[in-house]
Amino acid sequence: MLDSLIIGAGPAGLAAAVASARQGLRVRVVDEFYQPGGRLLGQLHQEPDGTWWNGLAEAARLQQEAVEAGAEIRCGVSVFHVTRQDTSWIVSTSEGVMEASMLLIATGASETPVPIPGWTLPGVMSIGAAQVMTNVQRVRVGTRGVIIGINILSVAIARELLLAEVKVDRMILPAHSVISGDASHPVAVMQSMLRIAHLAPSPLIRMGSKWMKSTWMQRLGTALYPSRGFSMWGIPIQLRTAALAIIGVNQVEGVRIAHITPDGQPVSGTEQIIPADFVCIAGELSPLAELAAVAGCPFAYVPSLGGHIPIHNERMQTPLDGLYVAGNITGIESAKVALAQGTAAGMSMAFSHGSLRDPHVLSDSIKQIEIVRNNATLQFHPGIRAGRMQVGLMAAERSL
Amino acid sequence: MESHRVIVCRCEEVSLADLIETASSYSCTARELKLRTRAGMGCCGGRTCRNMLDQVIEAVTGQKPDHAVSLGYQPPVRPMSFQLLGGRK
Repeated sequence: MLDSLIIGAGPAGLAAAVASARQGLRVRVVDEFYQPGGRLLGQLHQEPDGTWWNGLAEAARLQQEAVEAGAEIRCGVSVFHVTRQDTSWIVSTSEGVMEASMLLIATGASETPVPIPGWTLPGVMSIGAAQVMTNVQRVRVGTRGVIIGINILSVAIARELLLAEVKVDRMILPAHSVISGDASHPVAVMQSMLRIAHLAPSPLIRMGSKWMKSTWMQRLGTALYPSRGFSMWGIPIQLRTAALAIIGVNQVEGVRIAHITPDGQPVSGTEQIIPADFVCIAGELSPLAELAAVAGCPFAYVPSLGGHIPIHNERMQTPLDGLYVAGNITGIESAKVALAQGTAAGMSMAFSHGSLRDPHVLSDSIKQIEIVRNNATLQFHPGIRAGRMQVGLMAAERSL
Repeated sequence: MESHRVIVCRCEEVSLADLIETASSYSCTARELKLRTRAGMGCCGGRTCRNMLDQVIEAVTGQKPDHAVSLGYQPPVRPMSFQLLGGRK
């Protein structure tokens, strides 16, 4: 029987495999995709110090380290169900039933795109799908596209498309609807973009963001925002334009757009149709916690972490015996934080197993998560620390 | 936005207008909304629309999501073949 079965071969799962296999545990990692690395595979961006974060290389390094440490990695395996039986976890997969004394769920997050009329047409995809096609499968998503939804993720992926010489005509907001939330509100989008302005390629935008700190300045900035938008890497970012509908007969042919007020209301008489053969919709990310739910794990609803989070303590243990979580299932943060969490989860499993004797190694790996978080160039949400504290308190209430 | 034209649940072809109308007429929970419209009950198990059902309920009735997950998850959480279900593998 396995000591530890890890579901998800992304940064968290692979880091956990490296840490626990190095401590002598019998470890297996399974992943639905045909290649290990998870979301790392698509990541390619420049850090503010000018160095590049190459997720593909990072994934290859982790895979090699995990295999060298003795972990087994099986790709193309889907997990349908997990149950606890006596002292082990029974995991039902597309490759049969697997059994392990400890289970780590590191399934990451899924995208929740904002629906727009016409979003079911062929040629419309989530921004993450465009990233995978471009950087992993090396398939051209189209010749002229529109990105609907302006946020940290979509701006980063727009640049990746540009590096692959895929033309992005412009980035605009989704039209306001009952469920579009802040994504269709120019002032709210401007506020969230200002938090990442220090990453902008243009010194002008970086400087501008400094005197845009106050709310009235942001309102004024949004009101004065030019309708053709600002360009980042040559891609027009139009905060004051919304996509009303994606149009086409058998596939995407264009997008019907209109100017919008700072509050997101369409301005009549400004409607026009722009041609496009692909459309990416960028929404939020939501922790992928379905397996934790069928296992019977209790949840905490924490909007700053992305939604429903399996309750866990700093050792990444859930209230269920032998069930651990790490990575974006515990809250939406960067791949580097997921990696540090994976290492801590791996050490934690080794400690429970008895093969890691020195508790300082475990506590150091937990401290490391906070160090990585503090050094992160961008915070996905300003309320991450408060959210994590809330989950920690709920774990403590269950004497975890 | 023309909400009748937006499909929210692709498997069961339920539109945003259907969801808003049902949520307002019955002032119900996300679970009741699911059962009344079949949104989230298709073959994907609500992987695309689950969050949107919660958002519709919050926007229409003002109910905030609770710590407990509003729409339960049932195994299998991924589509699986009859061959596998029958234990042939």
